[in-house]
Parts: sequence; structure tokens; C-alpha cells
Amino acid sequence: MLDVVTYIQRVLDPTLAYRFACRVGMCGSCAMTVNGVARWTCRTHVDRVVKNDQMEVAPLRNLPVIRDLVTDMREFFDKWAKAKGRFEGKRTRNDDFARVAPESGGRKLVEAGIECIGCAVCYSACDVVAARPDYLGPAALNRAWTLVKDERDAMSMDRLRAVAGDAGCHSCHTHMSCTEHCPKGISPTAGIAGLKREIARAVLRGRL
Amino acid sequence: MSVRTQSLLWVAQRASAAVLALCVVVHLATMVYAVRGGLTAAEILARTQGSHAWLAFYSLFVLAIVVHVPIGLRAVLEEGLKWRGASRDIALLAFAAVIAWAGMRAVLGVFL
Repeated sequence: MLDVVTYIQRVLDPTLAYRFACRVGMCGSCAMTVNGVARWTCRTHVDRVVKNDQMEVAPLRNLPVIRDLVTDMREFFDKWAKAKGRFEGKRTRNDDFARVAPESGGRKLVEAGIECIGCAVCYSACDVVAARPDYLGPAALNRAWTLVKDERDAMSMDRLRAVAGDAGCHSCHTHMSCTEHCPKGISPTAGIAGLKREIARAVLRGRL
Repeated sequence: MSVRTQSLLWVAQRASAAVLALCVVVHLATMVYAVRGGLTAAEILARTQGSHAWLAFYSLFVLAIVVHVPIGLRAVLEEGLKWRGASRDIALLAFAAVIAWAGMRAVLGVFL
């Protein structure tokens, strides 16, 4: 798909604006809506998505369009910051490395969600984001979940507070569009369900 | 409304859903039994009037509905009608009071 868009820009319409970088499914820059479905275009074959010999390429849904196929990703990444999507360790540089057993339960949960490339396909596919613009969205919540389950992280309760409530995980209706469309095969829905469980535990124990 | 209260509302809605799952099954089974068994209104009332077990069961059913429905409507009103804030929550408290009154009126109607 990305080759088609590039051909259009180079040959048919040099004014066409679109975004890409790595071209190999690592950077998350080239996500667009193809025939109504959000996809990473660099790893999407035309023969898999063409319908009746036709294709419609559009910018991602749920994000402001800057021009043509280019969306403004600021609110998407601002919501990662709101969900406290950064690691905050307990150790200093003087401490030894943390040893996390790969087979431990928490690490396996982190592993399942850690490969997010920030392409915003899930955010674009989410109907809750469409209905409730302040909703943090699947990617930010998935990121928060991988940090909540990271035993080295020191910000768990603050992060749970940041992702709880009406603008956070409790608005997820479990439609699972994010899980259906994630090109990396991540299930943000599972992470969001995990956040709901952790928050329920915290709030019932009076810690939140 | 604080994040803590919002989180507690979610817990309350999940808990009330679990209660409702049980209550709806018992209620439907009772209705099927009453209709299939050909019980008259008088025979049904003879079983429910003065029965503290039925009073407790249907009071619990009403309580679960009163907790569950307004919390669900809270999201529906926000996402469907963009109605949020204190006015929505006060309206939903009033709605909860109305369904509590109507539900308990029905329960007491077959108990007394």
C-alpha cells in the first residue's frame, strides 16, 4: 500500500502529503485508513485489501488532519504522557541491575504488550475515542499496563490514578476493535481489563 | 466527581451485574413456572403475600437494578448526548430514586 501511495505522489500528484519512515513495520509512521480500515500501509499488500478493483486511502480517524493523509499525532502522544506512560525506576545508577525472571507472571504480561510501535491504528479504530474525545485510548492504556506490571517501576499507584475513571480504562466498552486491528498482534483490551482489575483492588483496599 | 468515586461506580456496576445475572435467571424461571403451571393471580399472591423470602429476593433484585441502570446510563448520556457534569449525575440520582420507588412499590404490592 505504501508503494502505491508513493507512486501516486511521485508520478501522479506531487502535492500529495503522507508520512512514512522505516518502511519495514517498525516505526509506526505510515498508518492510514485503507478501504475504511486503519492499517500500517508498509506491511499491507494491495491484493489483501482491494475490493472490486478499488481502494480508498484516507487519513487515520479520530485525529485532526494536517493535510491529505497526514494526521496531527499530538493528542495521541499527549495522552501517553497523561497516562504516565514513562518508566520511573526505583534504583539509581549505583545499584546493580534489576533481575527480572522472564518466566515470571508479571513479565509475561509485560511481554504481551511491550511491542507497541505507536502507530495509532488502535486509536483510530476505537469507537470510544470517537464518542468521548478525552478518552486516553487503547495505546496509552496498554503502555500504562506494561508499566504497572513492571516490577522495577516505582509509580504504580500514581499511574493507576491517572488511568482510572471516565477518561481512562473504565470507559472501555470491550468492543475489541483495537485488538482486532493492532498490526503487532497486541491486545490492548486485555491490558485495559487488567488495569480495571488492579484499580478495583486498589480502590476497595482504600489505596486509590 | 473524583477518580476514586468513578472507580467505585465501576465496581458497583460490575457487582450489581453479577447479582442481576442470578436474579434474572431466578425471575425468568419463576415466570415460566407460573405460566406453564397455569397458576392464577390469586394462587401467585397466595405464595408471595407474607413470604419474607420472596420479599428479600425481589428487594435485592430492585436494589441491583437501581445501582446498575443509572451507572450505565451515565456513559450512554455522555457518549450519546454529550451530557456530562453534575447536572447529569443529579438527574440520574433522581432517576434512581424513581426506579427504586416504582420497583419497591411493585414488590410490596405482591407482599402485603
